[in-house]
Amino acid sequence: MPEPDDSNDDRDVQPDGGEPHADGGTVTDEDLPVDPPHEDEDDHGHGLPDMSSIKRWLVTTNHKDVGILYTVTAMFFLLFGGMLALLMRLQLWAPRAAGAGPLSAAAYNQAVSLHGLLMVFWFLSPFAFGFANYVVPLQIGAKDLAFPRLNAMSYWLYLASGILVGVSFFQSGAFPGGWTMYAPLNIPAYTPGVGATTSVLGLMLFTASVTIGGVNFITTMHRMRAEGLTMRRLPLFTWSILLTVWMMLFAFAALLAALIILSSDRILGTTYFAAQSAGGSLLWAHLFWFFGHPEVYIVFFPALGAMAEIFQTFTGRRIVGRKWFIGAMLLVAIQSFVVWMHHMFLTSINLPIKTLFMATTIGISLPFDLMVFALIYTMIKGRIRFTVPFLYAFGALFLFIIGGITGVFLGAVVLDYEFRGTYWVVAHFHYVMVGGVTALIGALYYWFPKMTGKMYDRFLGKLSFVLYFVGFNLLYFPMFVAWETPRRVFDYPEAFAPWHKLATIGAFVLGLSFLLTVYVIGKAVFVGEEAEDNPWAYSTTAEWAVPSPPPLENFPGLPSYGDGKLSFRPESAADGGEAAPDGGVAATEGATPAAHDDHEEEHVSHASIWPFVTGVAALFTFFGLSGIQNAQLIDGPWGMVHLAALVFGAVLGLGAFVAMGLEEFDAPTGPFGESWPFSSTSNTTTGMWVFLASDVVLFGAFIGSYVFIRVAFGWTAWEPIPHNSLPGLINTYLLLTSSFSVVLALVAAERNSTRGIVASMLVTLLLGIGFLVNKGIEWFELLHEGIWLSTNIRASTFFLTTGLHAAHVIVGLIIATYMIVRAWRGAYLDDEAPLEYFGLYWHFVDIVWLFLFPLFYII
Amino acid sequence: MSHAKLYTWIYVVLFVGATVQVGVEYAGLLEPGTYVAAVAAIIVLSLVKAVIVAAYYQHLRWEQRSLSYLMGMGLLAALALTIAASYSIT
Repeated sequence: MPEPDDSNDDRDVQPDGGEPHADGGTVTDEDLPVDPPHEDEDDHGHGLPDMSSIKRWLVTTNHKDVGILYTVTAMFFLLFGGMLALLMRLQLWAPRAAGAGPLSAAAYNQAVSLHGLLMVFWFLSPFAFGFANYVVPLQIGAKDLAFPRLNAMSYWLYLASGILVGVSFFQSGAFPGGWTMYAPLNIPAYTPGVGATTSVLGLMLFTASVTIGGVNFITTMHRMRAEGLTMRRLPLFTWSILLTVWMMLFAFAALLAALIILSSDRILGTTYFAAQSAGGSLLWAHLFWFFGHPEVYIVFFPALGAMAEIFQTFTGRRIVGRKWFIGAMLLVAIQSFVVWMHHMFLTSINLPIKTLFMATTIGISLPFDLMVFALIYTMIKGRIRFTVPFLYAFGALFLFIIGGITGVFLGAVVLDYEFRGTYWVVAHFHYVMVGGVTALIGALYYWFPKMTGKMYDRFLGKLSFVLYFVGFNLLYFPMFVAWETPRRVFDYPEAFAPWHKLATIGAFVLGLSFLLTVYVIGKAVFVGEEAEDNPWAYSTTAEWAVPSPPPLENFPGLPSYGDGKLSFRPESAADGGEAAPDGGVAATEGATPAAHDDHEEEHVSHASIWPFVTGVAALFTFFGLSGIQNAQLIDGPWGMVHLAALVFGAVLGLGAFVAMGLEEFDAPTGPFGESWPFSSTSNTTTGMWVFLASDVVLFGAFIGSYVFIRVAFGWTAWEPIPHNSLPGLINTYLLLTSSFSVVLALVAAERNSTRGIVASMLVTLLLGIGFLVNKGIEWFELLHEGIWLSTNIRASTFFLTTGLHAAHVIVGLIIATYMIVRAWRGAYLDDEAPLEYFGLYWHFVDIVWLFLFPLFYII
Repeated sequence: MSHAKLYTWIYVVLFVGATVQVGVEYAGLLEPGTYVAAVAAIIVLSLVKAVIVAAYYQHLRWEQRSLSYLMGMGLLAALALTIAASYSIT
């Protein structure tokens, strides 16, 4: 066996002389408590084909498989985004006129925009979530995520969204208006291409994927932790992911609102972001940056968590000030939502708010200072081993410090007036974001032996770091020197040409280092040495206590930290290891009762084709939607192609959801010991509420947009679009009554009355249809009067906001129809939980209307 | 009081609340002088109704308090965006 670590010989000695500290318990200073079987021996089948089969990767819902899928796919998008970056750098080799370099003016704009979009959305977060998927369940002692099929669906929607962006290049060009998609450049008047719409829709689909993933991770990490694994004892990487998914939940909901509005402007013809609309361009900036600043931390936190893990493992020292480090991360996660306007200092926002946001921005740098010093002091207190992962993590800290300090300049209003729109900004955020990438490449080298069971060539790994570090600084540091170069354009003063030449050379060196990394790990996968289960001395987290790679269900028993160290207890249904349906409304009935009554050890499911089918359906649906402009199909045969794709995708998607509901699928459920703060609600109930919280932000952003536009327009000068509030009042009555009838359905279920359930749900359905018919009549009359969603901004807000609500009603009615059929066949008598879940959704739709009604009809 | 009875009373309260909101408009209170008070009354009524639906129909009252805090966080985020963005207008 090769030497697994540069200094594995002293693994029994704590270099700092202290006791071994555990992040949620450790097994590093003794033998594994059991000798669990490797994957092949442990695989009970579970309907999951072998890993060498393509089918395995299409049907798998196992978190480790999904983690690998995310990692590999994200690396593909890294190459995609990287190629665009290299093209840009070639163009910038010298200042030259449009078309004089390798790229035309239009191609340069697309390359700049899509490079940013692909790297931020399709590479960075998914790359981190590859590790999160793989490692977090292992670190918290769970067999899988709470909703494994939703996890697979997140991945397939992510891939579909990325393919859509790729397709957009072939539809007369991808979105060319910059990654921030500022208004009014983002509307068809300025970016009319079909491909631009496809890029926007691709991002919207990505947002849906993230929201589903966020709900899943939040539910899992709060509800399914092993006994004794309290929040204070969570490993730092898991902490960083937990805070990341919380930020994602709220931030991406705001982005979803922004993208729905933008898609509506592009597809239906609303006028939110039109240049002449009150507050239009400023509204986009608010929505985008309300998401966009938390996004910086969403991207960086997993890297920070990985850095913390790597620092601890390779200094052999628990991080200094651990609880303060966690507290600082928590503070940043909260503060991240109150700094967004520092991206808008050059817009027309007023000076008092600029001053306030300058203060909050300076404030957010303080917790980061604490984290940086904690990492530095950990190195001083520990004994460093310069392994490949550590080199990358250490490099990341160095780069992040430069990125952080240069960012403080931008937080100051007066300096920002000078720096905004220059290469100072470009250099700063690349030092931060790609600094994060540096740590994540370290994470790849750190967890690679666990994920594959193979060890890579360490010399080549170190060589890749040298190339990376040299290439990185050669690429980005000259940008600080030539900071006066205008951002996003290909022309610049001749005096800066030498610096840009250096940067271009650096870009190729950096690119080479990525290729070397791909070679190193690719070679290791096929011909690498076998890795030990725990190749790193002083690793302290649970993933290193199981084989490399871990078996399908991770642990040889039920993990417990009850006595301060990781141990495995015998597993039985009574321990809470019982499998339960993963949230499909009908799956509760789908599971065979015999399987549940029998208290023999049960196994969760790991295979379903429907998440993949959903991804395919989404791809077709969103591609189809991109062929609509101003509520009309584009001309020619392509219009029909888009229509056919839309219909096919919608039907396929509906079928996939129904099939998923009917499928027998058992997911692990909690609690397994620790489930604060959701100990008394089931996984599905928790997941529903978490989803609804994101929906609060979605509708909140819509209502906020309405309020913002109305304030900009002149509050009292604004007349409601409907002339009469009575149709709205009737709809309020209809919805309130339908909410009441859902409550009665639940009461009927408690009384074991099938007729009662069916009758109540039928009433709900009819009232919901009545609501839509009433709304349809109202809209038809408005149309008859010549008022449509493109008429003016007042009409746009009315039709789109109430239309989004109507879409929620339609989704609810589809679910209600499905549930009526099942109730008719006797479902929900023994288990009324699905009715409860539907009720949570339906009442939420009701609550939203309680606000929309006065805002759009009365005031 | 049985749950069914409680739910029925809540339904009546919600129904009346919605009617009162329109009543404020029909009473001519949305005119200069009483406009701000009338708008405030209408919004507060909506808030009260929403809280009642969440507390009783969605059973938040009987659930762990953490779920209420979760929804509060969402609401706070939306309010922060709305208020700060609207205030920023020059």
